[in-house]
Amino acid sequence: MSGQPSLWWIDWRLSRPPLVRETIGRFLFFCLLGFALLSLLLSGGVRRFLSDRYTITAVLRAEVPSAEAEGLARKVAALPPVRSAAYRDPEAAWKEFLRAYPGLDPLRGAGGNPLPGYIELRIRPDRLTGADVDLVVSALRSVPHVEQVLAGEEGLPRLLRAGRLASWVCWGIFGAFFAGFFLVGRLQERARAVALAGDFAFLAERGVPAGRLAFLRAAAAAVSGFLLAAAGTAAGGGALFLSLRKFPFLEGVIGSPSDLLLPRTAAAVALFSCGAALLSAAASLLGWRAARSGPE
Amino acid sequence: MIEGFRLGAFSRGTTLWDGLDFAFGDAAAWFVTGPPSSGKTLLLSILRGERRPDAGDVVVSGESLYRGNAALTRAWRASCGHVPEQTVADARLTVGDLFRRSALAGGGVRESDRKDRTDRLLEMVGLPGALEWRIAELSISERGRARLAAELLRGPKVLFCDGLVAGAGVPFREMLWGLFRALAREGNTVVLAERRIPERWALAAGDPEPVGPFRVYRLPVPGAGVKGGPG
Repeated sequence: MSGQPSLWWIDWRLSRPPLVRETIGRFLFFCLLGFALLSLLLSGGVRRFLSDRYTITAVLRAEVPSAEAEGLARKVAALPPVRSAAYRDPEAAWKEFLRAYPGLDPLRGAGGNPLPGYIELRIRPDRLTGADVDLVVSALRSVPHVEQVLAGEEGLPRLLRAGRLASWVCWGIFGAFFAGFFLVGRLQERARAVALAGDFAFLAERGVPAGRLAFLRAAAAAVSGFLLAAAGTAAGGGALFLSLRKFPFLEGVIGSPSDLLLPRTAAAVALFSCGAALLSAAASLLGWRAARSGPE
Repeated sequence: MIEGFRLGAFSRGTTLWDGLDFAFGDAAAWFVTGPPSSGKTLLLSILRGERRPDAGDVVVSGESLYRGNAALTRAWRASCGHVPEQTVADARLTVGDLFRRSALAGGGVRESDRKDRTDRLLEMVGLPGALEWRIAELSISERGRARLAAELLRGPKVLFCDGLVAGAGVPFREMLWGLFRALAREGNTVVLAERRIPERWALAAGDPEPVGPFRVYRLPVPGAGVKGGPG
């Protein structure tokens, strides 16, 4: 290292081993927190899980030709809230029926296939709301080829409410861990400020203003907090990416690995890192103040 | 020039001293002696701008330390070096840490310079290769010399030493004698506070000026004229 020593990273210059330990601990914590954050962002709490299981079924009239039914499925799939729309012809519907209720083959004997074709729709996780479901259902009901729309509308509000509650709980747990990071960080900062009190007094005695020391420590804490959060979240994101690739069934709950690279995900990670930076700076300042005001 | 006007200090419910006048001229080595508990350490704190006197004022180069601009006081402190009689907080540090910390306080010591000067200064005070030694494991003499070397790293214009000469022990007095005179010859000011002045130093310094409970000696500096003295 060359150049003039500055008061930047003063804790690092004065007390390296404890700071290294703290930094490693914080990085590992941010890895876990980053993994959780990205999982929550991609899954939308439990929204993706619900949207993966919730379907709207548009039962078609018996006389609708397959070509028209497929055309209708394509049109429905173009609706903004719809993630996918798949047409099942009467034959496929019958096979599914038999898979679900084996031994009922005789039902077909007399009058041919009694089941009509249908379109199965799935809603985008971010559009799984009462309003969007109503929009899709009313669009389907206005189509003459559709005989009946099965959307579970009676139970849907309850399901959505439960989903919202579960998402809040997930985000609440995440927030509690983030707040825990702040509290533990504040205690660590306080302990370090107490341990380095002699050095700070030495510097203050030699004309270094205490306010400048506190500011520079907080600024360094903010920068390191940002970098650690960004690096930890990137590492957590890498682990999540590998997990999703290795265990594809997780995609149904969390989402596609490619969603990790979306700009909105990157923006959320940047926001999270900024939050970590602010909390780190606040923890540093509060720790400094607590150390100077004596035991709590 | 460091001047104290009508300085007074009250401590432990009594007046330690009051109405004392001092004038420590530049480019000189000053030796202040006083009996135990007479307030020598307190006097140094007041002169360094650390502790406001209970009466009077300290003026440095015409500016009041306690009634003037805070930035000036900080600049004054930054130009000072201080070797305390003892510090408990430093026990966990190594000698190298003292130098690193001193360089931080200086702000203008380049890292490469620091390493060179650290080695030279440690050798000068009789502690070559002591960089990794822990302060807690050093003798009182070694601690004092290590702190002195660390302060000298920044090249302070004014050096305050509290009990350093007595703590250093007889074998290193000659080194300190030469060092303080050399510092003064180079234009620095040294103020030493001790209970007693070594006999040989007292003979060389001549008669002290009595100031309250203190005796103030001016150590002879080859090739320098007298600029000031106790008030």
